[in-house]
Formats: sequence, structure tokens, C-alpha cells
Amino acid sequence: MSPSTTNVGALALAAVAQAVAFLLLAPVLRGLVRKAKAAFQIREGPRLLQPFFDLVKLLGKERMRSTTASWVFAAGPRVYFASMVAATALVPAAVAFAPLEAAGGVLLLVALLALGRFALATAALDTGSPFGGMGASREMTVGALAEPALMLALFTAGLSAGSLNLGELVRRSAERGVSIHPSAVLAAAALFIVLLAEGGRVPVDNPATHLELTMIHEAMVLEYSGADLALVEWGSAVKELLFLTLLAGLFLPIGVATSLAPTALAVGLAAFAAKVLALAFLVVLVESTNAKLRFFRVPELMAVALGLGFLALAMRFF
Amino acid sequence: MVQDFVILCAAGMLVSVLLMVGQKALVVAIRLYGVQSLLLGVLAGALGLAGHRSHLLVTAVLTLVLKAALIPWFLLRVIDRVGIRREIQPYLNVPASLILCLGLTVVGYRLSVGMAAARQGVPHQVVGVALSMVLVGLFLMATRRKAITQILALLTLENAVFLAAVGATVGMPLVVELGISFDVILAVLVLGTLVNRIVDRFESMDTSRLSSLRG
Repeated sequence: MSPSTTNVGALALAAVAQAVAFLLLAPVLRGLVRKAKAAFQIREGPRLLQPFFDLVKLLGKERMRSTTASWVFAAGPRVYFASMVAATALVPAAVAFAPLEAAGGVLLLVALLALGRFALATAALDTGSPFGGMGASREMTVGALAEPALMLALFTAGLSAGSLNLGELVRRSAERGVSIHPSAVLAAAALFIVLLAEGGRVPVDNPATHLELTMIHEAMVLEYSGADLALVEWGSAVKELLFLTLLAGLFLPIGVATSLAPTALAVGLAAFAAKVLALAFLVVLVESTNAKLRFFRVPELMAVALGLGFLALAMRFF
Repeated sequence: MVQDFVILCAAGMLVSVLLMVGQKALVVAIRLYGVQSLLLGVLAGALGLAGHRSHLLVTAVLTLVLKAALIPWFLLRVIDRVGIRREIQPYLNVPASLILCLGLTVVGYRLSVGMAAARQGVPHQVVGVALSMVLVGLFLMATRRKAITQILALLTLENAVFLAAVGATVGMPLVVELGISFDVILAVLVLGTLVNRIVDRFESMDTSRLSSLRG
């Protein structure tokens, strides 16, 4: 099933279906992660669907905007949300095929992620409040360090499969079967560190804190309320699921469905769920056993990710 | 299948060493050493089961019990007692050490290509990882001040040699392995006591202060 043999309508339908699935599953995954984290702290934790209820509540609330805010402030969450949703159509999940893979590969994905970050950071600067500026500056610092590591990890996967198109990449590695090269392990480790940074997870940021001096992502979106905040939260949840999907698809090509036969599809979905859950549990494990790094130590962690990425790429040539 | 698993574990060990270079908290370094030994033990166990080399199973169990559990536990107790949690000022800062270690890993990997018998396949990857770990371990020993980090670097070095022996050859005789394990545990005990003594004497784990003892 290559893009040329299927028609445009079916592709658009597949893209919408995948985006909707991501939008629905991302808050559930967030709820699961919170539940697991609470279990580590011997707490009961909120309900599994609490992130959903939060989103519904926020969507129904009045939005407050500062009188000094311009259209940039209003556009921020929308562009962020839209770019995350668009990125879901580029990543193969349960099937070794991404709906919009004809549009672009690895570079387009990185560009969409960067666009979302740029939109939020400029919006945070727009109101001129000190917290927004501080948060934006921190987010961009982390982002500038995470992005090259992300690209190196993705390029390593691309180099081993011989394609920079994510769908093609997953198809080829699924065809080849499981054959592990050390560079894949290093690249996966680099991508995992990037995932922690981009998802605002503990060694880099604390998603549960509202302590002014330590927050990064939360400081940036501090001034949003109502539907605007809902869009930001939802977009972040989708982004996290996106990274988990990417990690699972590129470095654990086990059980991916290569055809649309019902059994292959069922196996693909089950394998996808299992891989994402396993990776999410790993995130929880890291988050529960590590302390948050001081902000000026974060570059050292990101340097490790970058180093692992470089090394992974270099090892491909031996 | 087993070969893939062996490469997975070996590469995991390399990642753990690089993470050890990349941070300063002693507790995390000790945990990383535990993970590294765990991977080594699992690797030896997998090779033993697949190749019906029963003495490797003994090695695996010894590694898991001694290096993945007992030694990390003992070292955590040592730092708990002396109350020193971080590597404050290594001789080289983290980014510079990382860049150098990347270079060392590339060198180690490149060297393994030169070995005629290990030109390709699993031995090549495993020997490459092991050589890189030896170099990075030596580097860590030379550039860190804290006695605990130096002990961890020595133990990493030992793990690397073990990895090469297990992954690239048919393995060492059981007697030799038992002897090495016993040596390692004794070395750690002695070094742990030494750390306590150094801290008692200088109220610091900084080994460079030992040079003030020269007459």
C-alpha cells in the first residue's frame, strides 16, 4: 500500500482518523502516567479520565486576556495545537504507514514541532509579563539543545533504513525484522532524553509544579485560561504521545502491521499499545526515581543526548 | 536472536557509561553502575543458555548478585555514611569530558575493526563496546576527584574486560572467574574503608588532597 495506489480521499480520511485517535488517546495516556506516578508515591491519584474532564471544564470556561495582549497572544495556542495535530499525520503508529507521509518526512516533523514551540514562546513574550518572558527563554534554551539531539537520533534511524520518510523508514525496518545495531540503542537513548525534555518531564521540568522559580513550560503558559489553556494542555499531551510513538515506531519495529488485513491490524494495534505503555512506564520510572535538575545542569543532560546522537551516527560508518 | 540480545545489552552498557560521564550525582552514578552490571549479568546468562555453556550461568549469577546488587548497596551505604553526594569539581567539566569520551568511544570502536578475528558480527560490536568502555573508564579515573567515582570507574573498567571475555571468547575457566569476582568484592570493601578513612582525615573525598601527605 504505497501512496500512489491509494487515492487522496482515503489518505485524508486516514489522516483525520489518526489525528482523532491521537487527540482522544493522549489525555488517557496522561491520566495513566499520573496514576502510575501516584502509585509510586503510594497515593491513589486522580481518576484515569481526569485529564479529559479537565479539558472539558477548561473549554467551557471564560477566557481572560490581558489588555496589552495582541493577536500573537491569541494565535499562540491555536498554532501550537494545530502543528501538533498536523504532526500526528506524519508518524506511523500501529500500521507501517503514515497518512500524510507524501508531504514530508523527518525534517517536516522537526519543523512542525519547532513551529509549535515558536508560536507559544512568542505568545508568552507578547503580554510583556516577566513570567512569560522567563518561561519562553527557558523553553527555547531547552528546545535549542533538544532539537539537534532529536535530529541526530532521527537521522541515525534514517541512515540505517535508507530513507528519511517516516513511513518508508518504519516499513523497511519492519521488513528487515529485528536486527539490533549498537547505534540504534544509542539513538533510542538520545531520543528518550529528548522525550523527557520535550514532554517537560522530571529531570528537566516538573509537570506537576506551580512553583515560580522552577517551572519552564508552565511559566510560559501561565497567562492562558479557559479554552486557550485547554488547547495548550491538549497539544502538550498529543506531543508527548507523538514522541512515544516515534520512539516505539523507529526503534522497536516489532509487530507493526504491514498490511490492512484484520489480523495484522489487530496485532499492530496491540503491539503499539504495549510499546507505548512500556515506554510511558519507563518515563514514570525515571520521573519517580530522579530529582529535578537545576536549570543550569539541564544543558549537561542535553549534551549527553547530543553526544549519544553523534556517536550513534558515527557508529553507522564502522 | 541471542546475538541481537547480546548487542542490545552491550550497547546499553555503553549508554550507561556515557550517562555516568554526563552527570555528577554520586547516587545516580552508583545506580548506573548497578544497571550496567545487571546488563552484563543478563548478557552472560543469555549466552550461557543459548550456547549451553553452564559455567557462564554461574558467572551470570555471580555478576547479578555481587556487582548488580551487593556492590551498589555497599557503595550507597558508604556515601550515606560520609554524607557526600556530588562530584563538585572534576578536573574537566562535563561538556568537555563528554566530547573527549565521544572521541575515545570512536577510537575504541575503530580499534576493534582492526582485530582480524573480530572484523564483523557480534564479536566486533561487543569488542568495540568493551574497548570504548575501557578507555572511558580510564578517562573517568583520571579526571574525577572523588574517591567513589574513581572506584566506580575502576569497576566499569573491570566490567568492560569481563564483557570482552564473555562476548568475544568462549569465556574464562570458572576458577578464574570466581577468583576475579572475589578480588573485586575485596577491592570494593578495602576501597570503601579507604574512602571512610580519607573522609575522616580530610573531611572530603577529594583524592588530590592525599598529595599533601608527602613528606
